[in-house]
Amino acid sequence: MENLTSKRDPYEEKLDNLTDADIAKILAELRRRLKAPEIAAAHTCIRCGLCADACHYYLTNGELEDLPAYKLNLVLGVIKHHFTPVGRLAGRWVGGKKLDKVLVREWVDVLFGRCSGCGRCTVNCTSGINIHGLIRAARGALAAAGLVPPELQSTVMMAVEQGNNMGIPRDEWLETLAWIEEELQAETGDPGARIPVDAKGARLLYTVNPREPKFFPLSLLAAAKLFYAAGESWTFSSDHYDVTNYGLYSGDDAYAGLLSERLAKAREGLGAEVLVLGECGHGFASTRWEAPEWLNKRFPFPVQSILEVAAGYVREGRIRLDPSKNKKPLTLHDPCNLVRLGGIVEEQRYLLKRAVTDFREMTPNRQKNYCCGGGGGQLSMTRYAKRRLAAGRIKADQIRKTEAEVVVAPCHNCIDQLSELNREYKLGTQVRTVIEVVADALVLPQKPAAPLP
Amino acid sequence: MTVVGFLRALTLAAAAASLGALILMVFRTFSFGHREYLSAPRGYGGRGLVYAFGRGMLDKESVSRHRPTMAGGALYHMAIFAGLAYVLWMALPLRISPSLWAFRPLLLAGAIVGLSLFIKRTAKSHLRRLSCPDDFFANLFVDGFLSMALLHTFIPALEPVLLGFSVLLFVYIPLGKIRHCFFFFYTRIVFGLHFGRRGALPGSGREA
Repeated sequence: MENLTSKRDPYEEKLDNLTDADIAKILAELRRRLKAPEIAAAHTCIRCGLCADACHYYLTNGELEDLPAYKLNLVLGVIKHHFTPVGRLAGRWVGGKKLDKVLVREWVDVLFGRCSGCGRCTVNCTSGINIHGLIRAARGALAAAGLVPPELQSTVMMAVEQGNNMGIPRDEWLETLAWIEEELQAETGDPGARIPVDAKGARLLYTVNPREPKFFPLSLLAAAKLFYAAGESWTFSSDHYDVTNYGLYSGDDAYAGLLSERLAKAREGLGAEVLVLGECGHGFASTRWEAPEWLNKRFPFPVQSILEVAAGYVREGRIRLDPSKNKKPLTLHDPCNLVRLGGIVEEQRYLLKRAVTDFREMTPNRQKNYCCGGGGGQLSMTRYAKRRLAAGRIKADQIRKTEAEVVVAPCHNCIDQLSELNREYKLGTQVRTVIEVVADALVLPQKPAAPLP
Repeated sequence: MTVVGFLRALTLAAAAASLGALILMVFRTFSFGHREYLSAPRGYGGRGLVYAFGRGMLDKESVSRHRPTMAGGALYHMAIFAGLAYVLWMALPLRISPSLWAFRPLLLAGAIVGLSLFIKRTAKSHLRRLSCPDDFFANLFVDGFLSMALLHTFIPALEPVLLGFSVLLFVYIPLGKIRHCFFFFYTRIVFGLHFGRRGALPGSGREA
């Protein structure tokens, strides 16, 4: 018995041995995050349950705990009980819930384990309650007591301590870039083609998901080809290039702010005009939308998605695309953090319609797209992997119905999940990023375009 | 003062107290502070608002997949407002009689729909388990109020009962879920502004 006990998951043990001080920390952090909209939400939700159809977890699993209104009311119940007079007065009668060890355990299982933070419930809520935002606030409150599932927390800490979430050493990053530069030269036939690193005064600082240098270096090549063809003045940073921000998922604003601020500082140090975020949905939502509030300051520079930049090149005639280079039927997945929550909706379509011959929309699409299941830190939280793959069935069905041979997503987290769904549901599709497809369609200049001053 | 006169005055006082309590709740809610948006906008908050209170009210699965519930809900709310107007009309010293033909069908439909929503909440396992006692009580309380108002249109002698019921309803409004009628609008405004400035709502952003 002793051995069995000693082998218990330390995280589970921590949850079993929560103290009043832990509960107080959670409540204090939750209180710190409450503004008028969150309190109003506690008065607004009528538990109509009409959000059920919006959630890929509920649609595939069908348990009460998957219902967005259930998840929401786990949080709102605590807000009511602890922070509103009516909740204090009427308690359970009005759905108030006292936060205790049992409820904390349920918070962890439901709010971390059954939500990918896609926000589909929010836009389908009859009242427009920011359901995913409240779930993130509760995750942040759990983070204050050190209760983020360890796999997710270790991803955050890897980025905080090593500079990127894959722990890629600086030398390895630079070696990969050197290798990709050779590939770029071979592809373009231009021995002068470069992948600039720490180039002072470049117009753009480009950031990527560390999965690209680690597992998908051809994504780096695709972006480099795009910049080359456009004659862009751009650079990577040798130190801070990681666009991801798992602090968004853990709910920890301090770490999330730190990770985004590094990118802002790298831009400042290099004197770049624009911070360009690579194909990463949550990375975009983090640094484009959330970071100024995490850091309590406005960014005095533009933050753009690579999709906005690439669409701009086409509009301005800086690059030419030949769709006949991509003849396979292709469909597009809309990453939730980029599209529904981020507002980058048409750029990817603008690009793909010019880069492929047979573009097929999924149904539903754009803001109404279904989450693939890879967001919310689910890819790192292996303890919930079965649920994640089951919840991805909706997306797999969407892809299958298009009969496309290629599915593209402007997000490397989505790419990972889609690749797993591809195997799990035997979809038989290629999974690629938008920029990879655009790069394949590029008509490279006869002579290298002169970089912008 | 007659009993009816006293009850009319009490109804008006309860209505005023209810409104006052709701306004206090709004002020208390606002005392938590509003979120300052520091990121540069990419879309238009105003257009988001238009969407939130326009197309966005219908352009969602919670409507398209639940048309009977949504239509019923809309009717229910119209009936509740009609019922409250009817009672206030009666309680205020106005010498105009409400047009019963306009109230009767709405009150009847509201009571029936309200009861159907109660049955739905009770019968559907997940909805029942999601609910708190207030969800059932407020629903039945309002159904009772609508039924009483409807009966009163046929039997004026029921006025003291209706007024007594109304006093209790007004007292309960800020305490139970009925208060959502006030906060719904604020929540919807925040939704429209938040996603509109991101250009994430249809028609709120710059299109490529």
